[in-house]
Amino acid sequence: MLEVVELSAGYLGENIVHEVSFSVAEREVVALIGSNGAGKTTLFRAICGLLPPSRGTVVFDGGRITGRRAHAIARRGLAYVPADRHLFPDMAVSENLDLGAYPHRPARERRQLVFDLFPRLAERSRQAAGTLSGGEQQMLTVGRALMANPRLLLLDEPTTGLSPRLAAEAYAALGALRNHGLTILVAEQQVPLALQLADRGYVLEDGRIQLDGTAAELGQNPDVQRAYLGIA
Amino acid sequence: MKAVVLDGLVLGLQFGLLGVGLTLVYGLGGVLNLAHGQLAVLGAMVVALRMDAGSPAVLAVLTGLAAAGAVGLLLDRTLLQAVYRRRGESRVLLGLLLMLGVAFMIEGFLVWRYPIESLRLRIGGDPVDILGVGMRTGSLLASAIAVGTGAALVVFFRLTPLGKAVRSVIQNEEGAQLCGVNPAMVRTLVLALSGVLAALVAITRSMTSPVPVDAGIDLTILALIVAVVGGLGSVSGAFLAGVLLGIVNTVSAHYIGTYVTTIVLLGAAAVTIVLRPSGLLGMGRE
Repeated sequence: MLEVVELSAGYLGENIVHEVSFSVAEREVVALIGSNGAGKTTLFRAICGLLPPSRGTVVFDGGRITGRRAHAIARRGLAYVPADRHLFPDMAVSENLDLGAYPHRPARERRQLVFDLFPRLAERSRQAAGTLSGGEQQMLTVGRALMANPRLLLLDEPTTGLSPRLAAEAYAALGALRNHGLTILVAEQQVPLALQLADRGYVLEDGRIQLDGTAAELGQNPDVQRAYLGIA
Repeated sequence: MKAVVLDGLVLGLQFGLLGVGLTLVYGLGGVLNLAHGQLAVLGAMVVALRMDAGSPAVLAVLTGLAAAGAVGLLLDRTLLQAVYRRRGESRVLLGLLLMLGVAFMIEGFLVWRYPIESLRLRIGGDPVDILGVGMRTGSLLASAIAVGTGAALVVFFRLTPLGKAVRSVIQNEEGAQLCGVNPAMVRTLVLALSGVLAALVAITRSMTSPVPVDAGIDLTILALIVAVVGGLGSVSGAFLAGVLLGIVNTVSAHYIGTYVTTIVLLGAAAVTIVLRPSGLLGMGRE
């Protein structure tokens, strides 16, 4: 589904991500674990076309997408849910969702699926997106990405700014999406939650993949336990 | 008094249409289009020349609208590409200077080639009674066109996927891209649309008073005032500001005198900006 080969990317000629290679298979949930500043967001921006990579290739769904523009990649079915959300604050919740389906008119079943997943959005569908709470905005960002019926969902820290309870709820929703057969790549600092959901994981440090394995293997790894799970 | 306010309303709707194009182009790409009024006059002059050549009025008007739209599209695809590649202050500054140059070029060319040309569309028929005021057919048709176009714009921006896409780029360009919206395409489309709207204003103005070849600068300044008072980037703000300023304009012209209306308009704009720096309905974020 997604094949990233020796991808390097950064800003102002300085790479933050260095020759990163990894893959996500169809219907798989993969966690990308790393602390703040490890390069997760840079890596995601380079994959989804918001940041032109300095080298390497990205293959999505059998086609090379490296260097394509973000809107073209989005239309191929790769949906990116950024940590900073990028919602349209003055537009209604329903309009934000409609835009997720662009250039098509939103399908009713699709919208229903999002509302079933996040009933709060249905209650607030006429409200301006900028007036929602942080957790609701996070739901809306995920909901908007789902409107286009994507083949792959890239989530960047979906629990940013959420209380532990809301974070657990967010992951419950992601679990429901996995059961729908959606392929998911999730970057996360809240490692226990991510490893519960994921089949496999990669550990990104200083812009390089340091470790990879099944979720169970990573959970047992002493380095991971020390650095991310708070187990000495 | 009623007649003056009604006149002002008609004028205000045209002001609104004039401001909408400018405000959208600025909201989307940070380009303050100082050639907006010149684009309008260009469209009007095409209409005048086509009619001089014996073309039927409706056909001439359509040609004029298309010409202004085409020049807008061309500007976006060529000159402005260099502007969009820059960020922040340097983008705004370069856009300002380039469009000022374009304004001089369009106006210079038109005045050089057609120094005494002006557009005056004469609409026949007796005055119609509206709320006890006899309205000329020309100004009725002009306001009907302004109202119709305004309503069409509201439907476009509120209900169609493309209209929502335009608003999404104004609010968050990266978010729009993630939804599959191509900002470059949206910008081209909107610059062409703003050209068409500007020309439409000049053409409907000519139904009540002649639009001379050198009217561009006045129209540009008017569009700037409307867009700034309404809040740059806000469509409904531009219409609200247009209507208010239109009424201010005719009332002051009637009771004080035509020679001070521009001063009164600029004064009204200055007061608005002092009280609400982001305009009546401005986004107030940037």
